[in-house]
Amino acid sequence: MKYAFFPGCSLESTAKDYLMSTQAVAEALGIQLEELPDWTCCGSTPAHATDALLAAALPARNLAIAESLGQDVVVCCAACYGRLAAANLALSGDESLRAQVTDAIGHEYSGGVKVRHFLQVLREEVGLAEIRDRIVRPLSGTKVACYYGCVLTRPKELSIVDDPEDPQIMEEIVSAIGGEAVEWPFKTECCGASFSITRTDTVKRLCGEILKMAKESGAECIAVACPLCQTNLDLRQADIEKATGERIGLPVFYLTQLLGRALGLSDEALGIGKLMTDPGKVLGVGL
Amino acid sequence: MSAPAIEKNLLEKLDPDGRLNLAACLQCGRCSSGCAMRLETDILPHQLNRMILLGMEDDLLRSKAIWMCVSCQTCVSRCPMKVDTPALIDKLHSITRTAPGDLNKVRVFNDAMLASIRRFGRVWELGMMAMYKLKALDFFTDLGKLPMMLRKGKFAFLPRVGRGRSAVARIFDRVHRARRAGL
Repeated sequence: MKYAFFPGCSLESTAKDYLMSTQAVAEALGIQLEELPDWTCCGSTPAHATDALLAAALPARNLAIAESLGQDVVVCCAACYGRLAAANLALSGDESLRAQVTDAIGHEYSGGVKVRHFLQVLREEVGLAEIRDRIVRPLSGTKVACYYGCVLTRPKELSIVDDPEDPQIMEEIVSAIGGEAVEWPFKTECCGASFSITRTDTVKRLCGEILKMAKESGAECIAVACPLCQTNLDLRQADIEKATGERIGLPVFYLTQLLGRALGLSDEALGIGKLMTDPGKVLGVGL
Repeated sequence: MSAPAIEKNLLEKLDPDGRLNLAACLQCGRCSSGCAMRLETDILPHQLNRMILLGMEDDLLRSKAIWMCVSCQTCVSRCPMKVDTPALIDKLHSITRTAPGDLNKVRVFNDAMLASIRRFGRVWELGMMAMYKLKALDFFTDLGKLPMMLRKGKFAFLPRVGRGRSAVARIFDRVHRARRAGL
């Protein structure tokens, strides 16, 4: 299993722990993630909110590099995944956009490079049985609320899951590593994404509702697969507790961190120390 | 007062090929019931759809709604007719540069991030945040979180400038040129 890996900008800073845990898990499971040479930003929301050509060309430059290498692309940031996959969709069947993108990036790009999320590689390439076999330190029934947010599930054409209203891919992995995935209704609600910076109160309200529901559903922690979801639910949690006067205390892990622990990898290798909400109680260690 | 007529000019400006399916909107309201911003916005998605069909361009461009959309894609995912309201909102952004009141911060943030991408090829989060804060005159939000985030190594102190930066600058230039040529 060899892929061109697109880390994305957040994984170089706020989500460094997502990068560390993804790479550690990939190595342990024999997935070869080779960083896409000279990758550049996908453009994220500011590009698609500003210009359709820019929103297609920024991802297309990266996809063209992968095409020249003959490799599929693997992404673990949900936002980057969405933008790369959206560019493929926009380019398919739109000759004039394709011509403009070719001109902008200075290369032909067919629109045909497969873009996959790391969760899909785990679920479909490695498989649940193999993951189960490799477990040395199971979660022993830890109650986990799997939180997907938006772009992993929507829009339908780009979704990595069968049912955008009730996805199961994260729950299946949590169960395979010995955790108990709780049933809860807010797993595809929106956390407010980059409004965290521009409309902080809105994000605190949205994240407050999500955290409260996870807690009421019996979760002891949350698992995510998106840097923005993680940052918003984790970094904002203390402020939300202060504003509402209610203690939440739910650590927000990247799913790869939980998986890595179950595979026996060290907390240092998984960037566990970078979490804001103390995970000690869930992991049984003091941090 | 006569009934408002369907006004094709705005729709043609936003979606000349009809790919975004707006004409199929049933006004069922399923989009609005799931909108993440429904409690704070001034125009709900189904209303916005109808206003585009009625050609109410000025009202739309002055609205909070087009800057309050967080692109969660819930509306289009649940729409029985696949009306792509988030894409229509993106198109409305491309014809206005002004956002009302405090929502100007959203535009300033978008611009700061695009400037970082153009300059370095990738977003340098620390620099981008500093630029945003200067331009939005928003110095104090989250300042208290900075020491902890730096201690946990959540920010890179320096941008990583890769060889891709000139390719990205070229993309921005070409897009700018295409826009000026009215493409």
